[in-house]
Amino acid sequence: MQQGGGSETEVTWEDQQNINKFGRLNNRLHELHDEIKIAKEANDNLEDASNELILTDEEVVRFQIGEVFAHVPKDEVESRIEQLQEATSQKLEKLEEEKQSVVAQMSELKKILYGKFGESINLEED
Amino acid sequence: MASSSSSSSGATERRGIPGAQFVEDVQTYLTQLGLDVNSALAFLQERLQQYKVVEMKLLAQQRELQAKIPDIEKCLEVVATLQAKKGTGEELITDFEVSEGIYSRAAIEETDSVCLWLGANVMLEYSLEEATALLQKNLDNARASLEVLVADLLFLRDQTTITQVTIARVYNWDVHQRRTQQVATTAIAQE
Repeated sequence: MQQGGGSETEVTWEDQQNINKFGRLNNRLHELHDEIKIAKEANDNLEDASNELILTDEEVVRFQIGEVFAHVPKDEVESRIEQLQEATSQKLEKLEEEKQSVVAQMSELKKILYGKFGESINLEED
Repeated sequence: MASSSSSSSGATERRGIPGAQFVEDVQTYLTQLGLDVNSALAFLQERLQQYKVVEMKLLAQQRELQAKIPDIEKCLEVVATLQAKKGTGEELITDFEVSEGIYSRAAIEETDSVCLWLGANVMLEYSLEEATALLQKNLDNARASLEVLVADLLFLRDQTTITQVTIARVYNWDVHQRRTQQVATTAIAQE
């Protein structure tokens, strides 16, 4: 977001607001990367858990609730995991959608800002 | 050039964070402040540092809240589990950690109440319904605080960005100024 060089291009309040917006979006993009990573991990873990559950012969399995492992019947755990899986995949979908919209808005702003400032502005990551 | 170089931004302050002034024209800005380039840059750098300090503080608060929310959600889940057992006559059998890596087994009989740790060395027994309501209220509060905090951070980042851009512009203006001056003096010397 820093400008370099010695050229004099006038910066208007509108430009500044676009730069601010770009900064916000860039920040959000980083947050989204992290959130998506966490959501994917949660999804994978649930997938593993549900696979293990199919393989096990035990009727009662230990299911973590809060800080303790509760003894819960296998079929109840199955439905609980299903619910969790649904919730996390919905969350993941929402995050991916938001990411796409952020990326689109950023490239729109890049067009505007590069169009005006050319080489005097740098909008790429270091 | 605009008669006023003052900020046209909406908010000038948010919860104690001063707004950064947007500079329309560097020359006017410097004359208004009565500062030369170096003192203006020093002032802006100091402001930037202050913003960074506040950002660190807010980020720490954000992390704290982000950790607190899942904790409360976990508590709610446990209370809901106890509530689901109520009336079934079954006990809830759990393996719990006694010390790091050491587990023991406990059977929780059907219960109407749980004890909530309120902090400050106080624990209070609540009915399951009351406990759920209290935890839910805490969760709502934590979420609301997080929302405000995120908005604070957005405002702060805007101010940081404005200040960074202003620093770059004052600097560029100075370079430009020197260059024209140099060209002028060489021109005179050559005459």
